[in-house]
Amino acid sequence: MYKLILKLAWKNSFLRRSRTLLVIIMIAVSMSMMLAIEGIYDGMVENMVDKNKRSDSGDISIFAKEYRINKDLAYMIKNADEIKAQIENMQGAQAVVLRVKAEGLLSTARKSSFASVVGIDLQAEERFGKFSEFLKEGSIDLQKQGAIVGIELAKTLKVGVGSKVVFSTQDIRGEINSIALYVRAIVQTTNISLDNSAIFIDINQLHKFLGTDSKNAMQIAIRGEDKELYGKLKIAFANLDVKSFLELQPMIKQMQDLMIIFNSVTFLIVMGVVFIGIFGVMYVSILDRVREFGIMISVGMHYKYIRLQIFLESIVIGVLGYLSGAVLGAVLLTYLEHYGIDLSAFSDALATWGYEAVIYATIKVSYFTTTLGAIMAASIFSVIIPLRKIKKLNPIEVIKAEK
Amino acid sequence: MFKLAFKNILFYKGRSIATAVLTFVSTMLFILYISLQDGSHNSMLENSLKIYTGAIEIYRKDYRDIGGNEYLIQDVKAITDKLEKIDAIEEYSPRYETYGLLSNKEYSAASMVAGIEPNKEKLLSSLESALIEGSFLDEGSANCIYIGAELLKKLKLGIGDEVAFIGSASDGSFAADMFKVCGVFKTGSFEFDSSTSFVARSYFDELMNAKNRASYITLKLKNIEDADKVNEQIISMLDDENLESLTWKTLMKSMVEIMEIDAVFGYISLSLFMVVIFFVIMIYGFVNVSSRIKEFGVLRCIGLSKRNIFLLLFYEIALLSIFATLLATPIAAYICYYYNINPIVIDGIADMYKDYGIVSDEIPFDYNLFTIGWNVGVIYLLNFLSILYPYMYINSFRPIEATRHV
Amino acid sequence: MSKIILIVFIFMLDLAADEAHEIIKKLDENFRGKNIYMKLNMKIVSMGHERVMKMQSYSQGTKKSFVKIIYPPKDEGITFLSLDREMWQYVPKIERIIKIPPSMMLQKWMGSDITNDDMVKQSSIVEDYEPKIIKREGSVVTIELTPKENAPVVWGKITLNIDTTTYTSHKDIFYDEEGKEVRYFIYKDVKKVGNYYIPTYWRVQSSDTEGRYTEMILEEVEYDTKISEEYFTKSALKRFSK
Repeated sequence: MYKLILKLAWKNSFLRRSRTLLVIIMIAVSMSMMLAIEGIYDGMVENMVDKNKRSDSGDISIFAKEYRINKDLAYMIKNADEIKAQIENMQGAQAVVLRVKAEGLLSTARKSSFASVVGIDLQAEERFGKFSEFLKEGSIDLQKQGAIVGIELAKTLKVGVGSKVVFSTQDIRGEINSIALYVRAIVQTTNISLDNSAIFIDINQLHKFLGTDSKNAMQIAIRGEDKELYGKLKIAFANLDVKSFLELQPMIKQMQDLMIIFNSVTFLIVMGVVFIGIFGVMYVSILDRVREFGIMISVGMHYKYIRLQIFLESIVIGVLGYLSGAVLGAVLLTYLEHYGIDLSAFSDALATWGYEAVIYATIKVSYFTTTLGAIMAASIFSVIIPLRKIKKLNPIEVIKAEK
Repeated sequence: MFKLAFKNILFYKGRSIATAVLTFVSTMLFILYISLQDGSHNSMLENSLKIYTGAIEIYRKDYRDIGGNEYLIQDVKAITDKLEKIDAIEEYSPRYETYGLLSNKEYSAASMVAGIEPNKEKLLSSLESALIEGSFLDEGSANCIYIGAELLKKLKLGIGDEVAFIGSASDGSFAADMFKVCGVFKTGSFEFDSSTSFVARSYFDELMNAKNRASYITLKLKNIEDADKVNEQIISMLDDENLESLTWKTLMKSMVEIMEIDAVFGYISLSLFMVVIFFVIMIYGFVNVSSRIKEFGVLRCIGLSKRNIFLLLFYEIALLSIFATLLATPIAAYICYYYNINPIVIDGIADMYKDYGIVSDEIPFDYNLFTIGWNVGVIYLLNFLSILYPYMYINSFRPIEATRHV
Repeated sequence: MSKIILIVFIFMLDLAADEAHEIIKKLDENFRGKNIYMKLNMKIVSMGHERVMKMQSYSQGTKKSFVKIIYPPKDEGITFLSLDREMWQYVPKIERIIKIPPSMMLQKWMGSDITNDDMVKQSSIVEDYEPKIIKREGSVVTIELTPKENAPVVWGKITLNIDTTTYTSHKDIFYDEEGKEVRYFIYKDVKKVGNYYIPTYWRVQSSDTEGRYTEMILEEVEYDTKISEEYFTKSALKRFSK
């Protein structure tokens, strides 16, 4: 019996080929466009988040309690190296790095500018966030007073790879001290604060220059996706300032929230209209066959089978539409994931806000699963009203009546 | 044909209602979405502009790139005399900006200290309305300084406190004075509030030897949309290759570009909606037509030409579209108009987005008849396109075949 | 035989290098003595208009110096103190002592073409640069100073044209890293004061802009006199302002 119903449903769907095809195309095009847009938007945000985490705060950062308000050399985390070792042993901690920072003046023969010097351990940073991927020019090497400069800072000072710069600041004794640095590379992290004012040097060199104890640090950055890690760290280091990524970057959190709202609204509107489309087609299709159904009922077919058949017809269209949409969408997303959208015409503005000129999409399984659910729901709900009509049919009158 | 179209619409109620409703919805969506987008962009721009940047600013060439006393405007009066003649300029004021050190006991901070004409600034910028403590400047303010909230914090100052200023005058000579904190402002832009402060020119000019000199002249126009036109007027009137006159579009280039990007994405999303709606309208049209094959066949047999069939379809969709848009457009337009005058206020949005430069809680809609016009035009276009495929479908049947169609 | 020539050759090179060092040292001494008092006239010219300042300067060695402005009247009494690499300023008009932050160190000193940093880092020529003789014309030796490895100085190189009869330079040129001229000093009217020689006319000019320069004329100069240590304390800023 059920096999028969299925066969009937399948055949009926293709009774009016053009009609069915149109609906399938509609679903496919709308779905793939929507997926592409979602992918790009999510891609934008994720890219920003990723770059930010890798270049600066990680998933969690730890500072001395007063440091974020007053970035003074006095506020360092004591025994940061021990703390680092401790964290590395904690479950969920994937990578930990120490950073030393100081603010001062960076100068060349012709120009000078405010800058922040960041002392890093290159190998640790590589493990932490693949630092070498930020490279724009030159080679990542901090030996012998080498330095890596943020791209906007390099532009302001008009320096390039091989240039010599002098950084001056107050050291731990309060005296003004200068150090010669040689630009080995220029990086673009799209983290605005870094690109505009950061110069990276070897952490031990910075300790020597500032006269600070190499056991201490300004920042401990941790990468680890374990949700419990944050709680554990907050308890273990209650005397320090433990902050999660979103706490440090509320702007990004808002962007994420905004994207979610936007994508949801788009999704609802699009699925709503798809629903109307399927509804229209099914309604007409069923009403056209009122006579047919009337005959089936009068020959004894139970209403529930007719109901099933109609549901199946709708679902067939929905599934076919979904599959075409999924394939088309997957193709589009894959293309966008690799090649991205090229917005280099706007690259100046994008750079100011920390975006790259080419935006890549992300692909999430949820795109496909939620859409499947929505389309199935649309298919099923779209036939409820027509079904009601069938239920109320008086078979004899229907057969007798002229169309 | 027309009468037939009309009858058909009334007869096939289902399709008519669905198409009309969809068109109505899409028109509203289109108009309101674009209006909201344009409105919020304009508002963002105006608000950020209003803080300090003028609609047009006049500089000596190279001041913006190199800066320094060498590139100051040396004869302000010569320029302002000419500006008086341009009607479209609502207000103008020469500002003298300098960078120096502000110091309170052991706390010092580098700051921009600008000499302004308080009475003009009240009309030109939102400096006065950003006041949160004390009072704004006026011509008799003497050595009062109007300071940003974050800068105040940095220097650990309060109203009535004295702060030392050290800088260099317009001829490079040493300049130092004590200022008194008379007022504090908070514009919401962190950068601005932490590095700028203002003194009345009537006092500052003496100290800085800046009479009749300026870093630039800022202008407010009666209508910001005329910026480009008025700018050309100014350039030709000034007739001096050492001066440059720039509109806000250049001055705030990065913000303008971000909004363009935002608009691009907005249009992409909007086109998604339009595509979906287009398909659905087409499907309804098609379904309707495909169930009338027999009818069309008969019509063809009695002599109606293909062209007439096309006209019939055309009139049907035209009537429906016009009906729907005639309903939707005034309603949408009115909503735009209303919210243009009374913007939606979401408290706290300014705080949240202050890093983006959003300083106001208001979200106004844009009321622009031209925009609404082309929006509706696009809707019509889509609707008319939607009959193409059904029309082709009808023609794929030969008339006799059609009359026998089930 | 060849070995001897080699040894002699190396010896000569050493000598030459040594000579450059010697010359630089003597040049430096001429500017400094053990301590030095100067009364200076400074004229700053830019864009067609001039400004004149007069000041008295007391320095000891390479790390301590005290300057007092005596003209024009509106700036009279402003004093500067630099100890090691820190600098303070006292402004009588506002009765405040201000510590000059590192950010202002590279600003022009009082609007001239000399930076605050210049005033304070006078010593670094000997410490931070390696001298080499590149030309000799009569008694004038041209020495090229290249920064020692890792020396925190912004100049790519500096050339000095020194008259070995007086051990004073008549022209110093400062180059950026790429070898382009950025600014130059000209020295004239050398006077002999005691055992020292010092040019009494100095002029510093940026190589990029015309019509902008700073001139200094030494009205009085005394070497190795008794300069009280009191001049090099923070209290001096206010005390000697009058």
